[in-house]
Amino acid sequence: MKRRTFLAGGLAAASTLAMPALADTLDTIRSRKKLLVALDLGSPPFGMTDAAMQPTGSDVETARLLAAAWEMPLEIVQVTSPNRVPFLLTGKADMVIASFSVNEERQKVIDFSDPYGVIQAVIAGPKGREVKDYAAVVGKRLGTTRGSTNDKEATTRAQGAQMVRYDDDATLITAMVSGQVDMVATSPQVMNTANGRNPPVPFETKIVMRTFPYAIGIRKGEAKLQTALNEWVRKNLRNGQLNAIYKKYHGSDLPAEMLA
Amino acid sequence: MTYQFDFASLLPYWREFAAGVWLTLQLSAVATVLGFVGGALCAIARADGPPWLKRVVGAYVEVIRNTPLLVQIFLVYFGIAVLGVRVDANVAAVLALVVNVVAYTCEIMRAGIESIHTAQVEAGECLGMNRRQIYWHVVLRPAIERVYPALVSQYVLLMLASSICSQISAEELTAVANRIQSDTFRSFETYIVVGLVYLALSFVVRWAFWGFGLLVFTRRRKLGTAL
Repeated sequence: MKRRTFLAGGLAAASTLAMPALADTLDTIRSRKKLLVALDLGSPPFGMTDAAMQPTGSDVETARLLAAAWEMPLEIVQVTSPNRVPFLLTGKADMVIASFSVNEERQKVIDFSDPYGVIQAVIAGPKGREVKDYAAVVGKRLGTTRGSTNDKEATTRAQGAQMVRYDDDATLITAMVSGQVDMVATSPQVMNTANGRNPPVPFETKIVMRTFPYAIGIRKGEAKLQTALNEWVRKNLRNGQLNAIYKKYHGSDLPAEMLA
Repeated sequence: MTYQFDFASLLPYWREFAAGVWLTLQLSAVATVLGFVGGALCAIARADGPPWLKRVVGAYVEVIRNTPLLVQIFLVYFGIAVLGVRVDANVAAVLALVVNVVAYTCEIMRAGIESIHTAQVEAGECLGMNRRQIYWHVVLRPAIERVYPALVSQYVLLMLASSICSQISAEELTAVANRIQSDTFRSFETYIVVGLVYLALSFVVRWAFWGFGLLVFTRRRKLGTAL
């Protein structure tokens, strides 16, 4: 962790040194008449390629929606999860729209818009079973993916549950479908994938353990761009467009408090 | 880039490592015992059974020895669950390991049985031994003694192969390691430690088998010669 912070900090310092007179990004975008967005096309359902090898996914559609609103073409800059920050800081893209979770470490080097989506860590159980709080999980076989955030949240919160840890999401999904677990600690995306494979009883979200909002990442000190993005995010959360995209790819609605 | 090793951050996890080692040993021990018994019976069936049984056992051995252990483990664990019986991951793991190691033991033991010269069996008959006595004293015991080193390596391999039981949520040594490295982000250190632990376990298992061999094969202990 320390190493990563140091690296990111170093990069930030280097980029401020290298580009002291970088023009305001919003002005640059407007004069260039093209939106350069860093997208990760290797992380379904946020970004992926469809059967015709065309980019698709919730983040891709979000970027398209933004480009359409600003009336300019979208240019996709492909990134992978670990190089999102470097691509942004070195000016290869105007912004990052790639399930970019807001956290303190990142906020030291970049700025975020208001969140436009969430990754949730939930406890899901079969439909029809009453699960009101963590007490209902005690003694039950609670499946999860070993070492994931969901694992860590469930291990601390659902004390007394019998944790059943699988090495990856794919095995967890098979365990859900074949009935090896009573409940699962996972993301709604994984739960929906499992439900698509006809488990004996479909799963539904019972407890939301934690919500990780993700947002559009921009370079620091871009107040004008940040304001413009925040306005756009708020408008499209209210008119339901962002929720429609989220629901299309993630199978569930955004939390009500985000849409208000 | 230089890497700063930090083994100290693993120290608080020693209890979990120990629990993992213990489960690994338990899984391996149970699978070894059951695998040996099952393998020996299969070998007898394949060497001297009726033709239909020879074919059935032969097919089983070929199927198991030519498919990956991981696939067998998934089939046992999820297959049983689909049939409506939910078994504990550890039970499924042992079951899959036994199914696997029985096939290998069968082939090793068959080699041992077939190495016994017919003249020795005939000598047993001349001495008035009945069929069961001949099988036990003249065929099986010398056969086991001959293939004992091969069996030992097979069971050490089994112990190492038990590491993939982590896939189906059995919390053995590798599963523990996977969890600790995702907790501490010290993956390099974790896997170095686990590698050394497996190495030590291999030596312990070998040493235990060597001692067991001395105890069981009295002829070798007294004469100091191999069969």
